Amino acid sequence: MATDELSYLTLTEAGAGLRRKEFSPVELAETCLRRIEALDDKLHSFITVTADLALQQARKAEQEIGAGNYRGPLQGIPIALKDLYATKGIRTTCHSAVLEDWIPDHDATAAAKLMEAGAVLLGKLGMHEFAFGGPSIDAPFPAVRNPWNTAHVPGGSSSGSGAALAAGLCYGSLGSDTGGSIRTPSSHCGVVGIKPTYGRASRYGVVPLSWSLDHTGPMARNVEDCALLLEAIAGYDSKDPASADVAVPDFRSEMKQGIKGLRIGVPREHWFNEQKGTDPETETLFNAALKTLVSLGATIVEIDGRPFATARKANQTILIAEAYAYHERRLQEAPEKFGTSVRRRMLEGAFLSAADYITALRARSALNEQIRENFSKVELFATPTAPRPPEAFATMDPNEQNLRPSFTNPFNLTGLPAISVPCGFTPGNLPVGLQIVAQPFHEASLFRVAHAYEQATEWHRHRPPL
Amino acid sequence: MATELSLDELRKMVSRAGLKLAEEELQKLLPGVNRSRNQAAELRQLMADPLEPAGTFSANARKQKY
Repeated sequence: MATDELSYLTLTEAGAGLRRKEFSPVELAETCLRRIEALDDKLHSFITVTADLALQQARKAEQEIGAGNYRGPLQGIPIALKDLYATKGIRTTCHSAVLEDWIPDHDATAAAKLMEAGAVLLGKLGMHEFAFGGPSIDAPFPAVRNPWNTAHVPGGSSSGSGAALAAGLCYGSLGSDTGGSIRTPSSHCGVVGIKPTYGRASRYGVVPLSWSLDHTGPMARNVEDCALLLEAIAGYDSKDPASADVAVPDFRSEMKQGIKGLRIGVPREHWFNEQKGTDPETETLFNAALKTLVSLGATIVEIDGRPFATARKANQTILIAEAYAYHERRLQEAPEKFGTSVRRRMLEGAFLSAADYITALRARSALNEQIRENFSKVELFATPTAPRPPEAFATMDPNEQNLRPSFTNPFNLTGLPAISVPCGFTPGNLPVGLQIVAQPFHEASLFRVAHAYEQATEWHRHRPPL
Repeated sequence: MATELSLDELRKMVSRAGLKLAEEELQKLLPGVNRSRNQAAELRQLMADPLEPAGTFSANARKQKY
């Protein structure tokens, strides 16, 4: 099999090939490591490459498979982790000078689950510093670049996860999402990412940004791979106080049921049709995606966007208050260690009052009710994942970003599960994503819709011109 | 709208918060601080009902290690 062909297998295809012994875990790991060596100088998706560990784990998987000890579909599969997942004995930086030399003495639960399933760790991925702010231009590691056009941002904060997957450097990844940090880079890099329901996947060992808004979740090159990865990391974890003791379904068998009869709410009015709302190219692709969903048997229902629009204010208030609380001592003692963008945004949290924070939590209760009331009329919501395609580094204005709506953060505030799936390309060949949102713990419905859409389109088969 | 903080007020609040920031940093910080405070004030206007805050407290919560 040609190297490019091997690099762009889906995780599921790679797992099947390993089981059939068409290639070995060592061949897969070596292919990824060679590709990282060849391409990552211009993408900067990896902060740390764990080549020796990867080859050691691949050899172990090879021996196990050879001896008939089959652990499951992740055995021998090369993956990479956003560099805020604690990895025992492996540097975990959060893309920051603050933790530049931190070597954890424990593994994040989600990382440990992947390793127990036999996955091979290629390394730790670049991100927005501490999962906040914009591309980290003054951090000790370079900002991650978009494989579709390296002059453009890959989206964040799980930038390295999106870029590495799109570039064929790994077969699966874990990101984290506090306001859109899995879904936005998935959209901008043309891959699939799911933020599961709050509590579905453990946050233990993931460096917090905002305890009550942080979610962990997988990213991959197609929907089935995301479902497989979520099955592996989901489930109750007593080490995470927010972990939910809810059974994990077989997402992959449920996703093939089709979408006939599903009602999908589109909160366009008073939200993404407003000034500085959705970019016209993005809206055109989104509307085309809705037509495809209708052709597959779904019904589109327009719903009121107002509570979704207000959610951003509550989300931002909670986020900066919690982020400042977590980093307060470091910001008092050595603020210069933080990059400019992340430091300024975190410091805003120092000047909110306790009443401001509590008010945002009360607004969270109200908005949660208002948004969930829509589930009496529809089963799911759909929006563009991001209001516009990936911007160029040269023209990006971080202040202007705050004026645009966020289509992702209402679902951190409400904890609702949400997935981003590729839905087209701009005339400049930059990817755009479709976001689908479901009721709590209904990730299976997300996979159903995303998989049906993916099967009806070719977007996930496009490759960046590297 | 919240009352806009002046640079002098921000300087005092920074000191009370135990932060040490250069004058240039304070000036660049001020617009964002006022924007965040206004955002919280706008939320307050929406909260007519006597709602309890959303919370994650659990009596069973164990010590976490990050």
